[in-house]
Amino acid sequence: MIKLLRYLSTRQSFLLFVFLEIIALILTVKAHDYALLKTNNLQTALAGNINQSLYSVQKHFSLQSYNDSLINQNARLLEKLQHLKTGNVTIPEPIPGQYRYIPAFVISNQYNLQHNSLIINKGERDGVQPETGVLSTNGIVGVVQKTSDHYAKVISILNKNLKINVALKNTNYSGFLQWPGQDPNNFEVIDLPVNAPVKKGDTIVTGGMSGVFPKGIPVGYITGYRMVTGQKSYKINIKSFSDMTALGPVYVIKNRLKSELDSLKITE
Amino acid sequence: MNLRDKYYLILLIFLILQIIWFNHIRLFSDFMPMVFIYPLLILPLSKNETTNLLIAFASGLFLDIVSNTGGVFAATAVLITYLRKVYFIMLKNPTQKINEINMKNITFGQKTIYFALFVLLAHITIYFLDSFNAGLVFSKWKNILVNTLISTVFIIFIDIIFFNPAKR
Repeated sequence: MIKLLRYLSTRQSFLLFVFLEIIALILTVKAHDYALLKTNNLQTALAGNINQSLYSVQKHFSLQSYNDSLINQNARLLEKLQHLKTGNVTIPEPIPGQYRYIPAFVISNQYNLQHNSLIINKGERDGVQPETGVLSTNGIVGVVQKTSDHYAKVISILNKNLKINVALKNTNYSGFLQWPGQDPNNFEVIDLPVNAPVKKGDTIVTGGMSGVFPKGIPVGYITGYRMVTGQKSYKINIKSFSDMTALGPVYVIKNRLKSELDSLKITE
Repeated sequence: MNLRDKYYLILLIFLILQIIWFNHIRLFSDFMPMVFIYPLLILPLSKNETTNLLIAFASGLFLDIVSNTGGVFAATAVLITYLRKVYFIMLKNPTQKINEINMKNITFGQKTIYFALFVLLAHITIYFLDSFNAGLVFSKWKNILVNTLISTVFIIFIDIIFFNPAKR
């Protein structure tokens, strides 16, 4: 034992190396565990504060693109308003006041890894809660994982662990959106029934079944599909409408009835 | 400012550059230069290794906090800081002491191989720790190689222009 201690004392740097690697690995495993800490979290607050400072410098260089994106969004909203006035389309009627939109800004965005996340500058004090959806002006962005008082950590749709309920537009055929981990613009939809009328170029929208996103938000368009042998379902390749590498203004969607929906799911 | 402070200042500058600029540039679709490891690769070997490891851990952890990556960058920074000493021990002259190796006396070719090897190691480690899946590291070999190439070119460029033109 003494010999072992004497030997180890001569290998201080090796022991320190092993010790630091173990700490780093524990932190990495904890970061991958989505069941952990959906409530206030010191790390989220710390990351939020650092990124907020960095963002206040960076935003001056991005104002033009944010303006462009808001102008485009206004144009689309005006277009929708016009359609409603002329009665060209039927908008699905959710329960009035079911969804509340909380505007926020992305202050840190990650898209190069396999389990990406981002931080927004709104937190629990602004009404943001875990398991609420986040949208950009072009489509879905992710789901809030945990919050601090002023910030929230969002699991990006560019995260291999996240699955989101989606549907073929204008149908009730639904499946799950997942990111295969390669190109940030290309996604897959799995478990879509084979009797769904799938065509290249068709639009995929949110399915609304989880209560995280309202039904009908555009996600992307179909670029290819194939039948999964033995499963009676399609695996569809889609290209997303939103550019996840250039996020600015976003909206957190708070479903006021989600807890009611979840309570029914638990009692099932 | 003494030599030790100079290296720590360089490390701080590169960390800030990595967070503010390099983390946001997208080359050829989704390739990102990883230059924060450059100061760790040029730390003098004669320095106290314990301090070097702690500094590497702290800088990696800072990047992890900002990027929400748990401890991926911290583990990578500590690994390359420890292994670089092993690398030079294997390469050095039997009569030479490790403390006598000076980065300024390494030829351009040797330095390029050294940078490329450790940048490759850093990218493999980051991809592996992010997914905990060795199969994925193989399936993403193209991304790893292109990222390594881009990061190495950036690092060599920075080394030649700003810091320490190696012997040619």
